[in-house]
Amino acid sequence: MTNRTNSWRAGLQRGGIELRHLLRNGKEMSGHLTNVVVALLVAAYVGDDVPGTRTPMTHLVLAGFAAYLLFQVGLINLPQILVTEREEGTLLRLRATPGGIPAYLVAKCLLVVVLAVGTLALLLGAGALLADGPLPHGPGDWLTLLWVTALGLLAVVPLGAAIGAVLPNPREALALIMLPTMGLLLTSGTVFPITALPVPVQQVAAVFPLKWMAQGLRSALLPDSARTAEAAGSWELPMVALVLTAWTVLGFLLAVPLLRRAARRESGSRLTARHRKAAQSGAPVA
Amino acid sequence: MTTLGRTDVQPVIRVRDLTMAYGDVDVLRGIDLDIHRGEVFALLGPNGAGKTTTVEILEGFRQRSGGEVSVLGTDPERGGDAWRARIGLVLQSWRDHRRWRVAELLTHFAAYYPDPRDPAELLTLVGLTDQGGRQVDRLSGGQRRRLDVALGIVGRPELLFLDEPTTGFDPQARHEFHVLVEQLARDEGVTVLLTTHDLAEAERLADGIAMLVGGRIRACGTPAELARRAAAQAEVRWTADDGTPRRERTEEPSRLVWELHRHADGPIADLEVRRPTLEDTYLHMVHGEADGTDGAAGTYRDADEKAPAA
Repeated sequence: MTNRTNSWRAGLQRGGIELRHLLRNGKEMSGHLTNVVVALLVAAYVGDDVPGTRTPMTHLVLAGFAAYLLFQVGLINLPQILVTEREEGTLLRLRATPGGIPAYLVAKCLLVVVLAVGTLALLLGAGALLADGPLPHGPGDWLTLLWVTALGLLAVVPLGAAIGAVLPNPREALALIMLPTMGLLLTSGTVFPITALPVPVQQVAAVFPLKWMAQGLRSALLPDSARTAEAAGSWELPMVALVLTAWTVLGFLLAVPLLRRAARRESGSRLTARHRKAAQSGAPVA
Repeated sequence: MTTLGRTDVQPVIRVRDLTMAYGDVDVLRGIDLDIHRGEVFALLGPNGAGKTTTVEILEGFRQRSGGEVSVLGTDPERGGDAWRARIGLVLQSWRDHRRWRVAELLTHFAAYYPDPRDPAELLTLVGLTDQGGRQVDRLSGGQRRRLDVALGIVGRPELLFLDEPTTGFDPQARHEFHVLVEQLARDEGVTVLLTTHDLAEAERLADGIAMLVGGRIRACGTPAELARRAAAQAEVRWTADDGTPRRERTEEPSRLVWELHRHADGPIADLEVRRPTLEDTYLHMVHGEADGTDGAAGTYRDADEKAPAA
């Protein structure tokens, strides 16, 4: 029992320190801020209303980017962090430390949640101030924003952890996940109404969580009248909950064994790398 | 195997007939080890001899194929957090926590252990007091390694694993590191298992040495014992009447030389009697393995001639 509280305490401490390092790291911070700035610029640039409604297009775009940035934190930022820390030996060191792996997971959850919520708050706040962006109206909308954000994160974070556990190294990792993510950004109805896309594309996009995250956030951020522009003519909130829950379950089913395996195999890959290095540098045997 | 006369207490590490195979490749072929409390023990061998595999099995990072292993009274495959807390590790290739500051990192890792060392005292012990506020990736190689040692002992481990601890060190850093390890063993009673391919390092630091070559322990004992055993068989070299160089190994070089003289009835050309050093023995084992012959079985061939070009 004391072990468990200790892991929590160490994990929260660790998460706090990592957040501080993130805030101090100019390069990484500017990366996150650039995402928000790009989203704001695109949103400010588009004119007109969403076809068939009197909701400005800007609102749809901001809601879509809000969903995409959550998606990105889980499926790009998190796997990158995991792959890098695996390669550097952070995971191995924590494996060698009593209670280290649980603390590591606690710290990463804290980091991801703060990163996601911070990005979201910044985007919506700056959007409302600078581009007359959308904010939820009334407690019902806030509640929807809250649960869609939470469930959306739950749908992508374990999945991202699973990806981070299998990808080979930080260089290749980015290339491997960037392309499909960008593809989904364009096909999920995040930055323009999904109904503008051919039906087969819509159907494929509907399998993945991003479309549903964006749709859920639109229901929280846009006026109810805007739902006529949705593919189904309604927000389909039960479907949003269902799909995101399904991805959450799938994510956990994949992430738990894959993370275990990654932690277990850590020393194995290291050994091979070392042997290869030794062979290249001309081991003293020969 | 280490004959230090302390058989009354349970050894810290006890290994019997440890085997490890990856597919068809036998990496470890039946290893026995006893390492006692407070001992500095060196696992000496060339790269690829199975040192890292052995140590990773003892650390609980790798499942063995067969044999019995007990570390601090527990099978490493079943060691939980309480067991982990009694063990410290310093591995070769850690490059983690680059963004952290030195003191911050030590203080954080102290939080995982029930009775940690004081981080400030620890910094003094490893000679990093001035670097406490520095970012980890700004440390030199030697400083980084000393930080790794500090992280390895922050939880007051009873047993410390050091994997090739001084690879890439300059002589000064190496010396300082040796002093630190001696201090830990002498003053704090920490049992240390270090792997190295450097015989001089093993002789300098270790109370016991096991030479691991080709997945087998070829020799085991105190440095003095090993040196004595190595010198027991002298090598006699001379040039025969037909001009061919000859060599022979014997425990009684004097008798051999006497018989040579009687046989030749006069002086022997290029006669030389050598007592091999521990280093000769070690190199011979290593090269014997590289040639695919069993060096320990006494089929002595000259390492210098047979060694493949590096």
